[in-house]
Amino acid sequence: MRWLSPLEPNNRHQGVRTERFDGVGNWLLETTEFRVWGCSEGGADKAILFCSGNPGVGKTYLR
Amino acid sequence: MPLTARNISSLVIDSLCDRAEEDNIAVAGLYCDFLSQQEQTTTNIMGAILKQLVSRGGIPDHLREAFQKGKKEFGGRAPRLADLMGMLKIVIASLPQVFICLDALDECLPKCVPELLESLRDITRESPRTRIFLTGRPHVREDVQRYFSKAVVIPISPNPDDIRNYVEMRLDRDTEPEAMSTDLRVDIVRVILEKISNV
Repeated sequence: MRWLSPLEPNNRHQGVRTERFDGVGNWLLETTEFRVWGCSEGGADKAILFCSGNPGVGKTYLR
Repeated sequence: MPLTARNISSLVIDSLCDRAEEDNIAVAGLYCDFLSQQEQTTTNIMGAILKQLVSRGGIPDHLREAFQKGKKEFGGRAPRLADLMGMLKIVIASLPQVFICLDALDECLPKCVPELLESLRDITRESPRTRIFLTGRPHVREDVQRYFSKAVVIPISPNPDDIRNYVEMRLDRDTEPEAMSTDLRVDIVRVILEKISNV
């Protein structure tokens, strides 16, 4: 499997998950946009959900 | 990348994984990172997505053959982007529905962003049911919309309660609590919230 890519995103996800601060961002899962995107209706037009955010409250800043 | 965006990406990945079995969907996700820019090429990112998708079932024959072929020549050639895209499209088409999450698009090498978005667009054209979740700083919004004019954009801004909770939690975990006083604690929270509201 390493032949396909040297990246190991699953390990990274475990790391991010462990450090996740509960309660932050739950609102997104409740939005209509997210729900519509997450259902299987619609074609390629509905493919992308882009969350854009500014830096400035990064972890680095708070550390 | 903001704490909130990475937090949100991991929440989204987990919420999709939670319903994966019931809804028969496959989930792949990757966090881009400034520190891994050299390694996070479009080819490696697409390879990683493919790897995640095939790891749930057995390795498909076409993939095994490509690997054997690559191994024979030049002492093991790594797959090229076009090869990976070919394999990825076959794998995605064989699954009921695939969700791909890419966190912090802006943390990829700038030259990779268009190639990455083009590859993702290719996938959605081939398999229109595919759903892609992206996060990134606002400046990559134009890039995203160049490839996906109908992309839904949700601005995420940290809300003060999130920040306050986070700072309080970090202060609670302070390794030198004896150096902290109630006044200092109040000051820290106040100053951070003030600075953030000015961003």
